[in-house]
Amino acid sequence: MELKIRKTGTNYIIDVNGEMDLYNSYKLKELVMKMLEKKVERFIINLENVDYIDSSGIGALIYICSTIKKQGYKLVITNIHGSVKKVIELTKLMGYFPIMNSIEEAILRMEE
Amino acid sequence: MDSADTTYLSGIHEIRVDENSPLFEKTNMLFKEFPSDYRQIRYFTLLIVQSAPLEIKEINLLEQQISEIIKNAVKHGNKCVPEKKVRVWYEFDASHAHLIVQDEGEGFKDLETWNEFNRRRLEKLAAQDFEGLADYVSFRTESSDDNDGGNALFAALEYWNGGFVYNTRRNAVAMLKKYPQRHLGVTLEDRTG
Repeated sequence: MELKIRKTGTNYIIDVNGEMDLYNSYKLKELVMKMLEKKVERFIINLENVDYIDSSGIGALIYICSTIKKQGYKLVITNIHGSVKKVIELTKLMGYFPIMNSIEEAILRMEE
Repeated sequence: MDSADTTYLSGIHEIRVDENSPLFEKTNMLFKEFPSDYRQIRYFTLLIVQSAPLEIKEINLLEQQISEIIKNAVKHGNKCVPEKKVRVWYEFDASHAHLIVQDEGEGFKDLETWNEFNRRRLEKLAAQDFEGLADYVSFRTESSDDNDGGNALFAALEYWNGGFVYNTRRNAVAMLKKYPQRHLGVTLEDRTG
C-alpha cells in the first residue's frame, strides 16, 4: 500500500494506492495521526485505487473517522467502489462514514 | 441512507452454536491445514480460493471473507502459535461456497457477548442513530489489539447468507454463501436443511 499526500486549498487529500489489509492498514492510521499533530484539519481520503479492504482496513477508517470527529475537524472518504464498497455495506457503515462520490464533491462538502 | 431500513432487525442476526448443523457435514469437501503463521494468512486464503470456479463473481470479496475467518483462527484461536494448526474444509461451485474452519484454541468464549453487542448495533442502525452507533462499530475484548478492526464478524454474518455456525467447543465455524442463480426456472435444494 502506498500513501500520497497532496494539498488543494486548505484540504489535504490522501491518495491510497493498493490493498488495505491486515498487514498495512496501520500505515494510514499513523499518517493521519502525524498529520493531526501537524495541525491538519481537513482530510479527504481517496480510495479510488483501493480494490481490497478487510476488517483491519475498516477498523483503521473507523479509528480515523472517530478521532477526527472528536477533535472537531473534517473528513470525507471518496471514490469507494467494488469490493471495498461491498465490505462497507456488509458492515453497515455507509451511513456512519462521511462518504462522497468524488474529490470535487468532497471539496464542496468541506466548504459547507 | 434514503429511509429507515427495518431489514436490520429482520431474519436471524445471531451467531449460533449448533454442532449438528448440516453445515458441519464434511463429505466430499477438500481439505488443507496450515501452521498459525500470521504473515501467511492471505497466502493460505489464496490457496483455498483458487479452487473457486470462474462463475463466482466478486472473488475479492470471497477472498476477504475467508481471510477474516482464517485470521480469527490463527490469531484469536491459536494465538499465533506456529505449531497449532488451522484446518480448513472447503467446497465451491457456481451456486455456493461452503467452508469449515477449525483451530486448536479454547473456543470463542465471548460469543454471547458478541451477539448482545451486535443486537444493540443493529438497533442503533434501525433507528438511524449514527451518533449512538459510534459505540458499536468495533467489538473489543481483553485480547483485542490495535490491528483488530473488531468488525469482521458483523460482515461475516451478512455475507454468509446460508448460515454461520459454531461447534459446541466453539473452535470450529461452518459457513455457507449461496449465490443467486440466473436463468434457472427451478428451485435449488436448500443446503442448510
